[in-house]
Amino acid sequence: MSQADLSIPFRRRAGRAMEDAFLQEALTIATTKFIGLRREAFDAFPEGEGLRDRAREIKEATLQHLDRYLEQLIGNVERFGGRVHFATTAAEARAVILEIGRRAGARMAVKSKSMATEEIHLNEALEEAGIVPVETDLGEYIIQLAHERPSHIIAPAIHKTKGQIADLFGKELKRTVPADPEALTQLARGELREKFLQADLGITGANFAVADTGTVVLVTNEGNGRMVTSLPRVHVAVMGVEKVVPSMSDLMVFLAILAKSATGQKLSVYTTLVQGPRRAGELEGPEEFHLVLLDNGRVDQLAGPLREALYCLRCGACLNVCPVYRQIGGHAYGHTYPGPIGILLTAMLNGPASVKELAHASSLCGACADACPVRIDIPRMLIELRRQVDEKRIAPWIERVVFESFGWLLARPLLYGLAGRIARVLQRPFVRDGAIRSLPLFGDWTRTRDLPAVASRTFRERWNELERETPR
Amino acid sequence: MTTRAEFMARIRAELGKTRGLPPATPARRPARPRVEAEAIRAELAERWPEALERFRHELEKVGGVFYRVATLAEVVPVVAGIARERAARRLVSWHAAELGGDLGPALTAQGLEPVAMPPGEVASAAERQRLRELVAAAELGLTGVDLAIAETGTLVLSSGAGRPRSTSLLPPYHIALFDRTALVESLAQAGVFLELWHADGAPGPRGAVISFITGPSRTADIELTLTRGVHGPKEVHAIFVEAPIRG
Ligand code: SF4
Repeated sequence: MSQADLSIPFRRRAGRAMEDAFLQEALTIATTKFIGLRREAFDAFPEGEGLRDRAREIKEATLQHLDRYLEQLIGNVERFGGRVHFATTAAEARAVILEIGRRAGARMAVKSKSMATEEIHLNEALEEAGIVPVETDLGEYIIQLAHERPSHIIAPAIHKTKGQIADLFGKELKRTVPADPEALTQLARGELREKFLQADLGITGANFAVADTGTVVLVTNEGNGRMVTSLPRVHVAVMGVEKVVPSMSDLMVFLAILAKSATGQKLSVYTTLVQGPRRAGELEGPEEFHLVLLDNGRVDQLAGPLREALYCLRCGACLNVCPVYRQIGGHAYGHTYPGPIGILLTAMLNGPASVKELAHASSLCGACADACPVRIDIPRMLIELRRQVDEKRIAPWIERVVFESFGWLLARPLLYGLAGRIARVLQRPFVRDGAIRSLPLFGDWTRTRDLPAVASRTFRERWNELERETPR
Repeated sequence: MTTRAEFMARIRAELGKTRGLPPATPARRPARPRVEAEAIRAELAERWPEALERFRHELEKVGGVFYRVATLAEVVPVVAGIARERAARRLVSWHAAELGGDLGPALTAQGLEPVAMPPGEVASAAERQRLRELVAAAELGLTGVDLAIAETGTLVLSSGAGRPRSTSLLPPYHIALFDRTALVESLAQAGVFLELWHADGAPGPRGAVISFITGPSRTADIELTLTRGVHGPKEVHAIFVEAPIRG
């Protein structure tokens, strides 16, 4: 399944995903595995719960003084010979990066996995400008060859089988290779090694940036983050403003919980701390280092309803535990960021109107908030979003009418009682075995759910009887 | 294009609108990192065997291989053994001053082809290119270690003069030497050393990159099957040297 077409309603996109038997199996296996690994990691790490609280508080403390920490970060990056750029919009970020590429005379850019560059749709822009973007994370490389988009923040290609990948490599790389993960990985290693050694431009995101030292931090398992920051002549890091942390001591708190939440590892294989361009005395390393600070809807939320979503570390834990994500996978959401946090981030990036359907793609069960390393209260913000969507009158009219009438009725006890009695009569043609199985106008709702019938004696009626019977 | 002033002004304006936020402070930082770092070293002067055992355990859990030898000279047969089993000969290493000793002649005597990296930067682009190709073609990369974190089985390597980044990255087999002075127990202790290294604010003798390496390069991107050696080394060997490497 390729990237969802946003002209298709969400319900149809989700429906398609649920009919895709392989996707269903892959999702179940992957998310179940990640959940288990995460749980084991935290079970074996008693201090983890306390560190999650610390991490949350650090995020909050940083956001409260974001101006100060960013100024500090900028000052330090510049002191070590790096350049900082400011992008209010995705278009501006793209323009900045293209200009850097053009001045470097770059024809190829090697990229390490970065949601920020996905978010600003950088690859298309690079291609148009004649700079070939090469994704170097194995999963990202696979989906780039297939012209698709990531379906999971941590495992971008979980929707593909090894057979499909072998076919893809055969077609795109003109190499026959058995459908064996080891052989496929070795082939990709060879192909990408050449690219690393040739590319003039290296583009990364940033998991964190340390204000106190001007250090950009990249976390990878494959080592592509190290390649991209060591071999090309120019390194550009693109980072949302909320990724800054005050000091190295803060960084350590996040490192202690990030990988455990994402993959259950104590630490990812490589954590790379980059402090500007190649230093005097160094044999290698980029001559130029650029940091692009990205707003793209984030700054508006510093005092906005989605503020807490700015704590997000992009670990993917909330995706794995989400009953909706587990059923439909990342593509059906239709945007860069999938899963429960993805709905909030999409609203942040594109405005609440962009998630009028997605805001409801959650059962509000709270599993995401439990799993989140920084305890982001995702359900609270989803409810808030639903309210906004509703107030802006972008929810479906029938839903608005029903909820408004229901709310009105609930506030009037006498009428509510009367309505119950009327409904008891009106429901008769629809009730079967004590439940309403289908209802005109509400077919979409009742297709997958039953509505309980109004009881022959409601709780309120019984309560009143009891009151009368019980002697005072 | 947005200027720094405009960008920051918008952030300040939005921050000015916030109200009723919970009180929050960032992590506690060592007031005097040097003193705290020395305190950690002093504690570990007694506790190091436990820390080393934990390190070994965690390193092996992430797929690394642990060795323990008495002196730097004894490193040579271990390296030669690793090379022989893998039919490998070409070895690149940090410069002798950074590694703590010149193992070149002894490794050559064992049939290896060792090349030590230059002690500093190289002006000639052609020479830099030659060295890069050499590292890219090497099978073994031999480096030192700045910190070994027991809690996670992690090796921390700072880049710099005589210690190019690619020596621990491009060759498929990475061999790292460390002694007691590199050993710390936890990520939190490693944090104290990171604070210390950055305390003076000046670039100092370090290079621009600090790498945390926790086992061999890995991926699970194809059907969640664990595969090693994607871009970085497929094997990581850590050799603990009992005698202090630097005198
Ligand atoms: S919201 Fe929390 S759990 Fe979800 S990706 Fe972000 S940090 Fe991870």
